[in-house]
Amino acid sequence: MQFNEILKKIIHTGVGRGRFWMASVGLGIAMLLILVALQVHTNFNELLYGRRNQNERADYLVVNKKITNDMMGRPELTVFRPEELKDIAAQPFVEDFSIITAAQYNVRLEADQLGFSTLAFFESVPDTFIDVKSDDWKWQEGEQLVPIIVPRDFTNMFNFGFALGNNMPQFSEETIKTLSPGIVISQGMRTASFRGRIVGFSDRISTVLVPQTFMDWANGIYGTGAAKAPSRIIIKTKDPSSTELTTYLEEHKYVTDEEKTKYSKIRGIVQIIVSAVGFFGLVLLMFALLVFSMFIQLVIESYRNEIRLLITLGASPGQLQRYLLRQFIPMYLITGVIAFAAVTGLQWWASGLLAERNMFVSEWPGIIALAATAAILVLVYAVNWMAVRKHIAEHT
Amino acid sequence: MQIQLSAVVPVPLRERILQRESDIWNRDVTFQPGQFVKIKAPSGTGKTTLVHYLYHIRYDYTGTVSVNGKPWQSYNRDQLSAIRQGQVSVVFQDLRLFDQLTALENIELKRVMQPQPFYPREKALEFAERLGVTHVLQQSGATLSYGERQRIAIIRALMQPFEWLMMDEPFSHLDEANADKAARLIADECHARKAGFILTDLDHDQRFDYTVSYLL
Repeated sequence: MQFNEILKKIIHTGVGRGRFWMASVGLGIAMLLILVALQVHTNFNELLYGRRNQNERADYLVVNKKITNDMMGRPELTVFRPEELKDIAAQPFVEDFSIITAAQYNVRLEADQLGFSTLAFFESVPDTFIDVKSDDWKWQEGEQLVPIIVPRDFTNMFNFGFALGNNMPQFSEETIKTLSPGIVISQGMRTASFRGRIVGFSDRISTVLVPQTFMDWANGIYGTGAAKAPSRIIIKTKDPSSTELTTYLEEHKYVTDEEKTKYSKIRGIVQIIVSAVGFFGLVLLMFALLVFSMFIQLVIESYRNEIRLLITLGASPGQLQRYLLRQFIPMYLITGVIAFAAVTGLQWWASGLLAERNMFVSEWPGIIALAATAAILVLVYAVNWMAVRKHIAEHT
Repeated sequence: MQIQLSAVVPVPLRERILQRESDIWNRDVTFQPGQFVKIKAPSGTGKTTLVHYLYHIRYDYTGTVSVNGKPWQSYNRDQLSAIRQGQVSVVFQDLRLFDQLTALENIELKRVMQPQPFYPREKALEFAERLGVTHVLQQSGATLSYGERQRIAIIRALMQPFEWLMMDEPFSHLDEANADKAARLIADECHARKAGFILTDLDHDQRFDYTVSYLL
């Protein structure tokens, strides 16, 4: 017969078992809450920065100053000063940035096929900031054909607003690409004519773009001479939903496409909820630990005479501690495994659900959740060990 | 293993003890390894108290009880349990069996307390046979007669290795024949271990070949 089997007949840990079960359930819920909070955090990071969520990986924001009533008629207030540009470039959330070069000459578009002529404007940005990939997107001095990128919004406005309202035909993007409107650029008496060619439609930059080479050449020849300070810039950022970014923009009264930064609000809310859930889990964990300690005290108190006699007969405190811990630990381990399994199940379910929306997270819980499970179990073990040690020591 | 008493006086019995002569109290006494020590003590002179001091489960005395040159107080809990598992065994006057265990389990408890038991289980059965308690081995400790409990407690004490066996009136509830059987077993086991014992009793007896006798 083993020593522990005999001990089992002397010290029944069944006393107050109901409380122990309740504390175990509490521990399970606490672990689940903490693990879910950590896993949601991990998933959120993966959604924002993960390789598989490429569309979310980097984003471009066109930023300009907010035009207020005071600024009207004073264009110098709406441009970025050099020190402001320097400050923006130095922000951690700015991966890359460029000014949007405005034309310093007048532009007129003439679409002969449509009997249509309009004043227009050009701007340009370095090619790396453009979301349209086209082999035709290049221009060299002497070329007559100038590639143009227009915002997709323009075609939509034309097709669904202007054309329908004025009984004009709607054009597909393919058709629009075949048009070659005449371009007349002028400054005072000097003019030059080109053929335009729309090579793509941008969702990112809401302006009429020409290649930087054309812009530089034309500004050189037809510009007013003095370089115009930029009033719009484009920044590349890893995380348009970063709260740092939105705060920075707000502080400096800059504005950008709010559609792209709206995630920062959602993210802030999610973070608060996740933190609250995690905090609640921690509080629950504390209570579970408290109940475990009290349960251990109860068991040891109700068997204090037996424990004293065992010690008198030569049982070592260590032997009794090990025996008592062995009565509780399997329950904790099972609780931990169940909690982790539940999180694994939830993660698998969530990843499936998100995948349908083209958002990819791992099907398995992250290493952080696993580490947290281990850490909580170690903590529970340590607290129990200390409680058993303390209360046994009281009787030796 | 040497046990030394140095000017030991129990605090609660102080007045009474200092009024009369004693070979033990308030003296320097050394028990040498392997000695069979008899301490004869009239009622009320602190017999049980002395055994408890020697086994270090009571501490209300002045003076020192030293084991191997070190006072009991300098041993920590783990060292104490190691000594109680391997060097000092005890038969209490009040026997101290677990009522919730059977007689055999009470014996086994002490045998398997050490990871490597000193004796196999058969030895427990053999000793029970020698003392005539085989028939009660499966009974709960609570249902045994005092004499049966006393013999079970003696067998329990013999299940472990020891250098000293402390016994507090171990035969008080046994008839002569059973007391002699128990004494023979104890003597055999002490000789086998080259161990000594300290036995307290009310009267003189010739059951053992005592090395030394004291009057408490």
